[in-house]
Amino acid sequence: MVRFNVCIDIGGTFTDCVVSDADGRLEIFKVPTTPERFEQGFMDALSQAAKHYSLALPDFLRSCERIVHGTTVSTNALVEGKTVATGFLCNKGHPDILTLREAPRKRCFDFRLDYPTPYVPRQLTAEVGGRIDALGNEYEPLAETDVRAAVERLRRRGVQAIAVCFLWSIVCPTHEVRAREIIREMWPDVPVTLSHELNPIPREYRRAISTAIDASLQPIVSAYTGALCGALAENGFNIDHFLVATCTGGMMPPDAIVAKPIFSVMSGPTLAPVAAQNLATEPDVVVVDMGGTTFDVAAIRDGRLIVSIEAMIGDDMLGIPKVDVRSVGAGGGSIAWADVAGMIRVGPRSAGARPGPACYGLGGEHPTVTDANVLLGLIDPGNFLGGRMRLDRGAAVSAVEALGRTLGLKTIDTALAIHTTSNHNMIAAIEDITVMEGINPRESFLVVGGGAVGCHIGAIARELGITRFMVPRFAAGLSAFGGLISTIKWERATTLFTTADDFALDAVNAALEGMRHEGAAFLERAGLRPDAQRYEQVFFGRYEFQSWEIEVPFETADGLLRVADIEHLTAAFHRLHERKYGVKDEEDRVEFVTWKVRAFGIVEQPLKDGGGVKTVHAVAPEGQRTIFLDGFDRPVEANLHDAEKIRPGGVVEGPAVIADETTTIVIHPESIATADARGNLIVALD
Amino acid sequence: MLAVLSRRFEAICREMTNGILRASRSAVIKNARDFSVGILTHDHRLISVEDGLPIHITALDLTTRAVDTLFDDTAEGDAYLNNCPYLGATHHADLDVIVPVFVDGRIMFWALARCHHADMGAPLPTTYLPNAATIYEEGLHFPCVRVEERYISKADIVRIGLTKIRASKIWHGDYQAQLGACRIGEQRLKDLVARHGAGLIENFIEDWMTYGERRTKAAIASLPAGKWSYQTKHDPVPGVAEQGIPVRVTVSVDPEAGEITVDARDNIDCVPGGLNLSEATATASCRIGVFVNLDPTIPHNEGSARCINVLLRDGCVVGRPAYPVGTSVATTNVNDRLINAVACCFAQMGAPHGIAEGGAMMASGMAVVSGVDPLRGDRAYVNQLFVGYSGGPGIHGHDGWLTYNDADTCGMLMLDSIEVDEGMYPILVEQRGVAPDTMGHGRWDGAPAMTGVYGPLAAEMTAIYCSDGDGTPARGVLGGLDGAASRNWKRHADGRWVEMPSFHTEICQPGEALRFVAGGGGGYGDPREREPARVVETVNRGWLSPARAETVYAVKLRRSEDGLDHLLDEAATARLRASTGR
Repeated sequence: MVRFNVCIDIGGTFTDCVVSDADGRLEIFKVPTTPERFEQGFMDALSQAAKHYSLALPDFLRSCERIVHGTTVSTNALVEGKTVATGFLCNKGHPDILTLREAPRKRCFDFRLDYPTPYVPRQLTAEVGGRIDALGNEYEPLAETDVRAAVERLRRRGVQAIAVCFLWSIVCPTHEVRAREIIREMWPDVPVTLSHELNPIPREYRRAISTAIDASLQPIVSAYTGALCGALAENGFNIDHFLVATCTGGMMPPDAIVAKPIFSVMSGPTLAPVAAQNLATEPDVVVVDMGGTTFDVAAIRDGRLIVSIEAMIGDDMLGIPKVDVRSVGAGGGSIAWADVAGMIRVGPRSAGARPGPACYGLGGEHPTVTDANVLLGLIDPGNFLGGRMRLDRGAAVSAVEALGRTLGLKTIDTALAIHTTSNHNMIAAIEDITVMEGINPRESFLVVGGGAVGCHIGAIARELGITRFMVPRFAAGLSAFGGLISTIKWERATTLFTTADDFALDAVNAALEGMRHEGAAFLERAGLRPDAQRYEQVFFGRYEFQSWEIEVPFETADGLLRVADIEHLTAAFHRLHERKYGVKDEEDRVEFVTWKVRAFGIVEQPLKDGGGVKTVHAVAPEGQRTIFLDGFDRPVEANLHDAEKIRPGGVVEGPAVIADETTTIVIHPESIATADARGNLIVALD
Repeated sequence: MLAVLSRRFEAICREMTNGILRASRSAVIKNARDFSVGILTHDHRLISVEDGLPIHITALDLTTRAVDTLFDDTAEGDAYLNNCPYLGATHHADLDVIVPVFVDGRIMFWALARCHHADMGAPLPTTYLPNAATIYEEGLHFPCVRVEERYISKADIVRIGLTKIRASKIWHGDYQAQLGACRIGEQRLKDLVARHGAGLIENFIEDWMTYGERRTKAAIASLPAGKWSYQTKHDPVPGVAEQGIPVRVTVSVDPEAGEITVDARDNIDCVPGGLNLSEATATASCRIGVFVNLDPTIPHNEGSARCINVLLRDGCVVGRPAYPVGTSVATTNVNDRLINAVACCFAQMGAPHGIAEGGAMMASGMAVVSGVDPLRGDRAYVNQLFVGYSGGPGIHGHDGWLTYNDADTCGMLMLDSIEVDEGMYPILVEQRGVAPDTMGHGRWDGAPAMTGVYGPLAAEMTAIYCSDGDGTPARGVLGGLDGAASRNWKRHADGRWVEMPSFHTEICQPGEALRFVAGGGGGYGDPREREPARVVETVNRGWLSPARAETVYAVKLRRSEDGLDHLLDEAATARLRASTGR
């Protein structure tokens, strides 16, 4: 009997699991992430959930309709430089595509910086004779001896994956395909990514970098996904109903993620804006998620997720579209230190899950943001994770004290300095993305997530001039909550060039139909019934000689175009072009380049009631505690509240500390928190 | 509020920039990003530009002023077209679209988009005409002409361009992208004022200018007081400057006043060709040479510009040209020499000040190519390639920037995607990459040059280029060595390579190809003081030969056990460096 829906998000420090039951009730479970064997934390979370429902793990899993998964494994590998050594095969004469890029962006007038090193060093780059031209003709045959020599050399150099990107493989892939045949003959086990299969776009750097990143993640994601699927299957779960969230805001089955692991980059954090989209009714929303290791920021503009085609990972583009979530190294585990000039700095280095902050008592010696929050009275060391993890206040004090000696500050002032500096790191990250997207943080609604965020958000909101923010009921697992309530998404594109004068109606319709069938098959496999399936069609068009297309949605009666529709497509393009770029040219020829079908599986929403409440009531405090706050000279007496006891309509006035099993929320003086019907706290600042 | 609003202005510029990048049609704009946008106050003070090309944006104040001088009936919905070097524009190929932004019935801002068009209807299909002694031999001038009124295009004005410019459909698409960006900028600026109120925005602008000035004065205060001179030289140009064009500059620093004076008056008169600077480029370049030596986080607005006094002379090759002298090449060649001369004055102060000379530019990797494309319906094409760049200058603490290109763009151009070039024009790029051993060696290396080979895929192709630096390469400073000179060759159908002149028009048939090595950047400081680990790294990435590691840097290498990599031989290196007195 199907009773549960599950989403598990593995972060750098904690693994979050949110479960909805048949009645739409939600529960959150939080266990430490296990970096050596991620699947262990994953199964620990499921076991804890099973225990909560008094079921054996296999029985619980058999009652799960679907498990959606967000993961940090590939992001961490990229950020920490722990991807595998990867060989790069390119055309002879073009060994520097990954070095030159499209000329990296830098600040105007600035030469006081080092040129970034390439994702794959020259030593692991091999040039291969052979060339296809822009029209897909073979200008020079593939030099198979070059391929063989390259594979030999790369194997000697100890690479564990090979990326192949040849010029114009998107028009004629035969050289890339033949290169892989030769590699397979010589070295059957090495993973190979071909650029035209992974990311069939023109502009060689973008295609090449995505191919190199993908290959360098192959062994890691493959082992990881294999381990998860193995553990799930062993306990009786149907792997077809296991979906991995992707960087594009969609989902893929595990075999597809293993085939194209680059799509798992930032898989967890993209679910946070998805959650916020569901929780907030405002058009412009800023979403922040503070974990143990990173602080992630995303924005929703006019109710839509922002997808960037130029997302950066370190010094490089990702090369594929990604929901625009930016990460900075500012989490609860971020380490505080003094720089050479004696100034306090926080992050980007993190104590991670192990040893973790000093107060975890697992051997961490460096003072972290969490340690500072313990000293400031914001976190109760006796009630962390519902008391399942006892924090060592003494260890936190010693760590902070040591840094204070270097800085010449009293211990409590050092803790406050760590807290404040960390707030400013996060403020800078929020300003960065909102300004980029033309969103004024002051006029935006803020949705916050992450177990550590509640201690900081009051001060951050005040500093940014934000007047209202929401701490969702499941803030501690915002991404996991997003994965649970999110629509199941899938998309496929076909490049098929045509123009209005000479419209290839049959070919376009065949492509649209083919993609829709594929989408339906995906949704069916994931367990979505036909009445829960939705489809969206778009084309990517441009004027003659432009080389960037704009995305234009269109509707058809039965998924197929008729002759009369063509002029509507053209008109829609002119309209969108004017809105986006300030001009249109109705005399000009419109070129249709790519066609895309998106398939959606609508998931039953666990809670359908609205957020508003009619009557409010004050909530009586459970006690008092002295706390120290950013922006206040002296300690503040705060009321203590148990989050579990705050009912819809309950009002808490600051200064107050609201704690539950997974998070602590500090309500600043002159702020008022009100619980809505779904248990989310809406905090209003004076 | 200062930080927030300044970033709002930058965000508006970024949106304008993005619009042009995505909506434009020619490769020089959409692929290489050879354009800039700017926002100025009603009285022509520059507010925000941080993402543009230095030569485009550093003297924009001269450009919008022409509208005020020439028109007394500017109204909402107007747009102006200007590319006239005698009316504040840079040179004929940089076409400006200027839009007034009205708030409550008066002009509050000017929004501007400046794009480089490979063809502006010159007698030859190119941007750069070194032999054009007067404007009559250049492309079309739009001397600050009203092209839209009440948001309606004047078809007769546009028709001038459509008639006189080659591949004019592409030109028209680019022009529209510029106009669209200005209209977007206009709307966003109006929204900004509506949201915050004109009073608050006006206060911000004054604070922002003061902030720029304060930051600049603080940076100048940390420099030594004194007067420094530097001279460099543009290569000889047949028929225009047989002996080359020397460029000398004196920089005076007054740390107490927080002022710098750049004197470029002691130079020769205008030459009978297109290498003369316009007032806009000469002014901008004197400022750029200073800005690259100051903290790069200083806002580059009117406030910082006013700390730099620029002294120019009428009728001077690097000053204010006398109408109708030609300025077709005013943004690059001699102009880059001027920027380098100003920047290198600072190196005369000694370490850690100053920078080396950056690689000279415009080898045939930057040629303007033209012809007819039989692969795509015999359509005509004219486009400037941005296939290979010169290397950046060494600076104290850092090696040169690889994708520098030249002093006037400071590495802000994008590099052509080969697939975009080949997808649009009938050419094939056989090779493109880093040229080994071309950097100016130093304690901090200049960046190596780029090299490449390309030719027509079908039908003949005309390539026109103005390769400075073949004779006088970028010089190193404070013991740093010179970068490699730039060079150009042609491969004939029989496979023979023949070296080509520096200023040249060459017609290539299918099967033939051009090869270039751009200029390497100059080094900073003595190479024998370079950290040995950096030398080893440069060898292993294939940029430097092991032989030079020893002879130039006094670094001894040995092979790793598997024979694949070079490793540092520490003992031998220490002995070698000791014996050379280092």
